[in-house]
Amino acid sequence: MAIDRRRFLIAPLALAATVTRGEVVYPQVTAGTALAFPRDHGAHPEFRTEWWYITGWVDDGDGRDFGIQITFFRTRPGVAEDGGSRFTPTQLLFAHAAVADPRAGKLRHDQRAARSGMGLAEAALETTDVRIGDWSLQLAGQKYTANVAARDFAFALTFSARQPILLQGERGFSRKGPRAEQASFYYSRPQLTAAGALTLDDRTLRVNGGAWLDHEWSSAFLAPGTQGWDWIGINFDDGGALMAFRIRANDGSVHGSGGTLRTASGSVRTFEPAAIRFTALRYWRSPRTGIVYPVAFRIEAGSLALALEPLFDDQELDSRASVGTVYWEGAVRALEHGRPIGRGYLELTGYGGALKI
Amino acid sequence: MIHLDRVSKRFPGPRPRTVLDGITLAIPRGLLVAILGESGVGKSTLLNLIAGLERADAGSVTVAGSELDRLDDDALTRFRREKVGFVFQAFHVLPYLSVARNVGLPLALLGHDRAPAEDRVQAMLAAVGLADRGESMPRELSGGELQRTAIARALVHRPAIVLADEPTGNLDPDSAAGVIGLLRERLHEEGATGVLVTHSRAAAARADRVYTLSASGLDPTSL
Amino acid sequence: MSAGLAIAWAVLGGAFGSHRGRLALSVLAIALGVALGFAVALINEAAIAEFSGGMRSLSGSADLVVRGPRNGFDEALYPRLARDPDIAVASPVVEVDARIAGRDDALRVYGVDAFRAAAVTPALVGTTKDALDLLRPGTVFMSPAAAAWLDVHPGATLRVQSGTHALPLAVAGYVRAESGERFAVMDIAAAQDAFARIGSLSRIDLRLRPGGDAAALRERIVAALPAGLEVATPDDNAALTRRLSRSYRVNLNVLALVALFTGGLLVFSTQALSIVRRRSQFALLRTLGLSRTRLIALLVGEGALVGAAGSLAGLAGGYLLADAVLRVFGADLGAGFFRGVAPDVAFDIRAAAIFAMLGIVAALLGSYLPAREAAAATPAAALKAGDEQHAFARLRSPLPGAVLLTAGAAAAWLPPVGGLPLFGYGAIALLLFGTLLLLPRIAAWVLAAMPRPHAIAPALALEQLRGAPGQAGVSLATTVASVSLMVSMAIMVASFRQSLDDWLLRVLPANVYVRAAAAGDSAYFSVDEQRRLASIDAVARIAFLRTQGIVLEDGQPHVTLLARDLPAADPSAALPLVGTALSLRAGDPPPVYVSEAIVDLYGIRPGARLHLPLDGKQRNFVVAGVWRDYARQQGALVIDRSEYTRITGDATATDAAVWLAPDVTVDEFRRQVDARMPGAARMSIATPGEIRVRSLRIFDRTFAVTYALLAAAIVIGLFGLSSSIGALVLARRREFGMLRHLGLTRRQIAVMLATEGFAVSSIGLAVGLLLGFLMSLILIHVVNRQSFHWGMTLHLPWGSLAALVLALLALALATTVVSARQAMGHDAIRAVKDDW
Repeated sequence: MAIDRRRFLIAPLALAATVTRGEVVYPQVTAGTALAFPRDHGAHPEFRTEWWYITGWVDDGDGRDFGIQITFFRTRPGVAEDGGSRFTPTQLLFAHAAVADPRAGKLRHDQRAARSGMGLAEAALETTDVRIGDWSLQLAGQKYTANVAARDFAFALTFSARQPILLQGERGFSRKGPRAEQASFYYSRPQLTAAGALTLDDRTLRVNGGAWLDHEWSSAFLAPGTQGWDWIGINFDDGGALMAFRIRANDGSVHGSGGTLRTASGSVRTFEPAAIRFTALRYWRSPRTGIVYPVAFRIEAGSLALALEPLFDDQELDSRASVGTVYWEGAVRALEHGRPIGRGYLELTGYGGALKI
Repeated sequence: MIHLDRVSKRFPGPRPRTVLDGITLAIPRGLLVAILGESGVGKSTLLNLIAGLERADAGSVTVAGSELDRLDDDALTRFRREKVGFVFQAFHVLPYLSVARNVGLPLALLGHDRAPAEDRVQAMLAAVGLADRGESMPRELSGGELQRTAIARALVHRPAIVLADEPTGNLDPDSAAGVIGLLRERLHEEGATGVLVTHSRAAAARADRVYTLSASGLDPTSL
Repeated sequence: MSAGLAIAWAVLGGAFGSHRGRLALSVLAIALGVALGFAVALINEAAIAEFSGGMRSLSGSADLVVRGPRNGFDEALYPRLARDPDIAVASPVVEVDARIAGRDDALRVYGVDAFRAAAVTPALVGTTKDALDLLRPGTVFMSPAAAAWLDVHPGATLRVQSGTHALPLAVAGYVRAESGERFAVMDIAAAQDAFARIGSLSRIDLRLRPGGDAAALRERIVAALPAGLEVATPDDNAALTRRLSRSYRVNLNVLALVALFTGGLLVFSTQALSIVRRRSQFALLRTLGLSRTRLIALLVGEGALVGAAGSLAGLAGGYLLADAVLRVFGADLGAGFFRGVAPDVAFDIRAAAIFAMLGIVAALLGSYLPAREAAAATPAAALKAGDEQHAFARLRSPLPGAVLLTAGAAAAWLPPVGGLPLFGYGAIALLLFGTLLLLPRIAAWVLAAMPRPHAIAPALALEQLRGAPGQAGVSLATTVASVSLMVSMAIMVASFRQSLDDWLLRVLPANVYVRAAAAGDSAYFSVDEQRRLASIDAVARIAFLRTQGIVLEDGQPHVTLLARDLPAADPSAALPLVGTALSLRAGDPPPVYVSEAIVDLYGIRPGARLHLPLDGKQRNFVVAGVWRDYARQQGALVIDRSEYTRITGDATATDAAVWLAPDVTVDEFRRQVDARMPGAARMSIATPGEIRVRSLRIFDRTFAVTYALLAAAIVIGLFGLSSSIGALVLARRREFGMLRHLGLTRRQIAVMLATEGFAVSSIGLAVGLLLGFLMSLILIHVVNRQSFHWGMTLHLPWGSLAALVLALLALALATTVVSARQAMGHDAIRAVKDDW
């Protein structure tokens, strides 16, 4: 993908795609590896990249909806593995957090970046326990706790799992491209119950809602020539869940796609690439960056056909001024025949590439 | 004593000008001769020729037996030192020397021994009526006294001639009359010859002979 | 009145026209003084602005900075601070002055955590297409100034020295530093690895949480800091830098003011003479009804015009000069205070106003004194020809001069003010002014004591001088001012240079000195290398030295700690002690020897207990002696190396003194080092002779600007001398005319004038030499000691002083003779007719 490589600080995704000088050999993601929990909730530092990604909808009980996003990335840059210094950057950690507030009409967001070590930034091996300073995400039992204190918002939320882990792809082996190594280990926790405190402009709100967690790790999952991807994770009101993605090549074609549907009854269907179709319904041009995003989609997954409508259009995450990345990560409603049936998040990356100044 | 023979003097420059043209003049020893004339006719130039301060363009100047045209600058300086005394309109008494030291300057220049020189200075001061002002500084003196100092200085080394250029120009009429009288008296006393250049007829009247210098030449004048 | 004014202006205007040359000289003198002062101010301002700007950009948005010994402190402090709830960001930094391979220069290398530094000191983060370069060991980012300086740009390799090894660093890009500092940046882990700084940091930049109280936080942090660490604000650091160079800058400013002063003196002499020549004109104006005050105002106005014209020209010249100097010599003027900055000059309105004002004031004062004199004369008396002599005849009361001299002598004993020898400078000024006031009296006294020569010309000369001592006073003043300033500086510099030379002999007793590197603090000898070096056949005896920078007091600059092998029995054998060493009693803590600067700056005396922060703890020492150190202006301490190693566990060394085995040459030693030591090529091996030559060269370079400024002052002074002599001679052409009438030969008049010139110059030289000697004592024992804390012994440079005396005499005589020729070129006939 064509994200400017300078925009490194929050771009572990970019790192993953970068052909580095081969200073280290990363383990391959191989099919048939059985994931084991809680160990696989923890970090996999030998792999090049990894993330824990929570997106969700909460409301304050007065009908005010907010989109919530918190992401922790881990990457192993592989350029300095064995120095005597405790600062040796064997592992880097990044975090992004955003709140979508329809009243504001745009995102509040902030980020953290650090090399791991000295107890200041760590990703535990045993279970989900990542932290950068006072930002953290921890799993205890079936409950995730996220703490974020950002520039102009803060939240302390718990996300409780009511459903079993949803392994994506072939029992957690998710293919992303034509080659065997273009794959990741990937599982999701849909239908998390969110509860806690959200602080905006020094006002703390009690909020409740639903969320979705992705945990994915890989060494090289994107094929060369990748432009970006579109991803959705939708919690249906009936308890079902849909994940779908497509990976776009820079020639406009689709490198690969996939998806998983778990129905309310718990049956899981994994879609072949051909069974997933993304059709843009509406475009929105960012007044800040000039980038045009397809913010509304028609999604077809097997026999399922959904329309996605954003909570509001401007959910662009523009952090050019600080760390340089631009993408769209927004809360969306899922409609079937014009009737809302679920809520989730849409992620659009790689749209800025062509329009980069 | 002083003999000018067809002397001419021209001043070159952007506007060349002839001030003296074929002047002939003979002054015998011991006389005081006054030369009258308008401004710019060459009175002072005539005096300077006699003093060897300027050289004639034509003719010859003989003073006290020396043919001045033949002397070089050093010889002329020696000639002035020994044979000439000067009295100036502006007195030119050195302000940093006492009256006695001023009067004694020519003697010092001639290298006279101090003791006889001092006697001579004292005698001259007495002769010009400044016997008790020897240790005074020039600024304590009046104009007439300053000019009397100058007369003493002009005669102290017994020069053959004394040249006075408008000596009364800066003096009031009373002092002027006194100064010219004194000059004539001292000249006769010392046996020196004097030339007085002035435009004051009153001053000229006290001389032994009077000439008038004009563009047409030098003519004897009786007042 | 307006008619009177018109006449006045006509007369004055005529005067302007008639002595245009000397007026131009006055304007030039003021212009030169103002230009020098303004240039020095601009250069200092530019250097300071650049340096502080650099410090600001390098300390970024840090609210506080924790710093410690130069070789670093335990990094364990960093996570503690980073977790502090009041601290938003803590950014750890490793600073190394890495010697550049193949050059005797060091480059500051910052090791940073880009993730942290980006939030506090963005200027210390490299820019690159491949962000991983920020983390790659062996990769470095250069400041544009450093890249230009070393001609090492992205894509090239920067070679520096670590230990005795060469370290190639790939230049991946530039840092975003906007100012002109020279430095390089690399990853902190890589820097710790590469420069043997594992586990240690040089500083931690702290940014508070919004609304945090920096003072309260500082207090809280300081309480928990290990010994030897301090917390400062970036402003503190900038102030420290300013303070480090302040004495030097003040010194330059004072020299520039001296140039301005001599300029004022020149105006004084020119005005004095020109006013005296116009006395009768002024008398006429007074007779016509011009009031005394009006006349003074007119004349002072004339001076103000000179001052204004000179100041204006000076400001323009100063700006151009500053620009040129910064371009050619850099901001530190070769003195090494502002290493690695290349600032641009900016027109400073405030400094411009100050120096323009000083220039005008100098010219005003130069005009006021003679103007008052002229106005005081009675018009009637002044109208009389020859009265001008009277102006010089009066002698003033000696009281003011004596009072100034006494005050000057007293001021020399006063302590510095805010680290600056203000009273020392004041003492010199008072002595100078006092002497100038007394000069006519001194001259009269000396002249009266001279026997009267027999020959008429010299006799006349003496009579003239005795008769008008004030007239000679003007030339005397310029001579005395120039000579005394020149002599005092010459004696001071010679004393300093000789003391430095003697000192070098004492501190370099060995045959050869080996340094791990010629520059920077990145090089050292490991224990193994020390053993190897000691085992070389050519070595009879070897002593090692470890240097380290520590902070003795909060807010003070680093002092140098030298850990060296000291003979316990007789430490003075190894150190140039001032006074005797204290004999230690049983139970005393280990001894530390402090340099004179430590005594001056910290008030630490022999016998006192001194805590030194070593390895994060305060260690007790007893001050056993004071030694002289010309190398480290901020102070240096010497302790025994075995004690240092015992406390810190640091057994590395930076320098070695080598006594060669009998019959071994230095070349043979070099050969053996080359053969036995792997890093030999990067070591610096020097004999005491070579070090001496290098040190003296640095000394001369440091003083080059001082010399230049002084030379300018002197040139102005000599201008004044020549001009006043010339003016005096010209003023007396009627006198010469009369004397020529009386039968003085030209030669006799020349002899007379030469005698006058010789007498005046001799008196001026004698007084100037004496005054200069006294002033040099103040420079040596007060100004230098208080400014730079250098103690030195007096050495008189007889050769240069004699040359100076001869040159000045020759100049005076030459000027006199030239002026006499000029004066006698005038018609003796016309001269006696001149009425004014």
